[in-house]
Amino acid sequence: MEYFIQQLINGITLGGLYALIALGYTMVYGVIQLINFAHGEFFAAGGYVGVIVLSYLAGNGHLETHPFLCLAASFALTMVYCAFLAMGVEKVAYKPLRLQSRLAVLLSALGMSIFLQNALMLTQGVYDKAYPSELFQGGLEFGDVTVSYLQIMMVGMTVVLLVGLNLLVFKTKIGMAMRATAQDKIMSSLVSISANRIISLTFAIGAGLAAAAGIMVGLYYGSVRYDMGFLPGIKAFAAAVLGGIGNITGAMLGGLIIGMIEIFGAGYISGQYKDVFAFIILISVLYFKPTGIMGENIDDTRV
Amino acid sequence: MMRSKTWKLLMLGLILVPFVFGTASAKTLKIGSMSPLTGPYASDGTDIKNGVLTAIEVFEAAGGMPGYDKIELFPQDTACDPKQAVASANKLINLEVVGVIGAYCSSSTIPSSVTLNEEEIPMLTPASTNEAVTDRGLPYMFRLCGRDDDQAPAAAKFLKEYLKAKTIFIVDDKTTYSQGLADGVAKSAKEMGMEVVEHDHVNQGDKDFAAVLTKAKAANADVFYMSLQGYSPGALMTLQAKRLGLESQIVTQDAMFQPKFMDVAKEASEGIYLTYGFTDTSTPEYKSFEDLYVPKYGPIAAYATYAYDAATVLLKAIKAAGSTDPDKIKAEIMKMDFDGVAKRIKFNEKGDSGSSYIAYKIENGKFVPFWSPVKGLLQK
Repeated sequence: MEYFIQQLINGITLGGLYALIALGYTMVYGVIQLINFAHGEFFAAGGYVGVIVLSYLAGNGHLETHPFLCLAASFALTMVYCAFLAMGVEKVAYKPLRLQSRLAVLLSALGMSIFLQNALMLTQGVYDKAYPSELFQGGLEFGDVTVSYLQIMMVGMTVVLLVGLNLLVFKTKIGMAMRATAQDKIMSSLVSISANRIISLTFAIGAGLAAAAGIMVGLYYGSVRYDMGFLPGIKAFAAAVLGGIGNITGAMLGGLIIGMIEIFGAGYISGQYKDVFAFIILISVLYFKPTGIMGENIDDTRV
Repeated sequence: MMRSKTWKLLMLGLILVPFVFGTASAKTLKIGSMSPLTGPYASDGTDIKNGVLTAIEVFEAAGGMPGYDKIELFPQDTACDPKQAVASANKLINLEVVGVIGAYCSSSTIPSSVTLNEEEIPMLTPASTNEAVTDRGLPYMFRLCGRDDDQAPAAAKFLKEYLKAKTIFIVDDKTTYSQGLADGVAKSAKEMGMEVVEHDHVNQGDKDFAAVLTKAKAANADVFYMSLQGYSPGALMTLQAKRLGLESQIVTQDAMFQPKFMDVAKEASEGIYLTYGFTDTSTPEYKSFEDLYVPKYGPIAAYATYAYDAATVLLKAIKAAGSTDPDKIKAEIMKMDFDGVAKRIKFNEKGDSGSSYIAYKIENGKFVPFWSPVKGLLQK
């Protein structure tokens, strides 16, 4: 039983990360029907900005005196940076192609992904960058089950971000504008909603969430590397598809499911097939329900 | 019409430029290096390239190669991918290099050495420890590092005699090197009467090992033997193991001999044992290498010293042979007997230069020679 609970906790932590990244895919798809393959790179960039900010603060000794302030500052800075990065990428690589075929934009997204990954490699080097380890040492012990403070922080932060996003999309005017744009760009522009601004905003929010996931991965696993965006990007994309691409709740659910399956597959069967299990579930769900678990709604829940 | 013709001529001219200048340039001795310069093992691959560059620098400072104005290195990126390794080997063949230092991953060295041997180009690997590298009877294949069928028994002996282990939990990440070594350790451990409670695998490129570590924690074996292809997943696994409260003693192997392992794993790496070839760091050879290498490229990691020795062997052999004829180079390599930076270098008929595996312990962020299969405890 302890074994099961321990694996459950591992699964929730990993699933939360996938959910945060998956949201970016699903929101962008909801608004402009584009699979943004460069999204994983925003996550990696977030991990790097986080390590740069935190190392700087740790070097000046602030991390020891005000750990929570430093953490909040690094999250804020990183999310803002990645939001601007994503808006820039959208302006440069996607906006000029908006009236072209969807394939053109897709290729542009792939190109952007390669460009950003190599830019990270050339500027930050090929070596792993270690995160300061002073934060969140230790954890809680319940018999044989260990829950580290880091895991608690990550799950807490993920919940806060997900609830915040839901409030933003479903309870505010901006969220209403986003949903309107997702439904019908022409109609929404007739009621003076600027599609360009909404698209920029969608990219910014998605990248901000991915950036937060990037810092958490860095803190949790202890280091970041330039190619860290690729695999989680693919898994999160799978999660978004599993949940029903275009659907926010679906992406959260999909992320959790993929994370759980990976951990339980590795924990109860064998570690070498963990990616296989995740994708088997993805394929079987899509076989019976091609629109994903939550389906692609056409009503106002889609963003 | 006119314009397109002008363009064509211009392009043709541009294409021809390198040929015109190429023939007019100084006489250059070309050697190649193959190692992963991108991807998960990029740091180890870059160390190999830097080791070779240092060897060339030293050799040129000592007078250079008679008959040549300079020595040029053509570093190739294998990405630890067998297909790309063969492609790099072919590229080096087209460049007409006289010898190749590489590769890093055994799974890259094995196929690419066949390609290079067909063209009679000597290949000296500084890092591929899998037995098959030199066991296939290729005439121009040499190895500077040790062999896994020496490393595995040395590791098992350490587990049995020093750690008094009874049960072992083994994890590898399914590469030719890591799985080969893990299988070897499992086999030797069984022969010595220890029990392998589980032998699990993870994937290359994984970052999250929570599932397999939870399994290891539940199994609670005396020793957790970690066989991974590079320091980077190793450091992540170590950190996560400590955080999860794994109580088994972690023992690992030569791929973790990288100061960056401690940079990432920090305190979690303290007290870990690993097997690695013994290098005497007090010799004058090592000291002079250190003085040259460290200011330029940073701390010395696993295979920089072996790469330096490999390049030195090749250059010395060409100089002694006075020609780039592969058979003459081979004859000179077989005659070699000198103190390199990493170890004493003398090749046997297989192309191996012997193994000298000992156990190191990580103490205060440093690799400390700890236990030798021959002499027992090295400290105190």
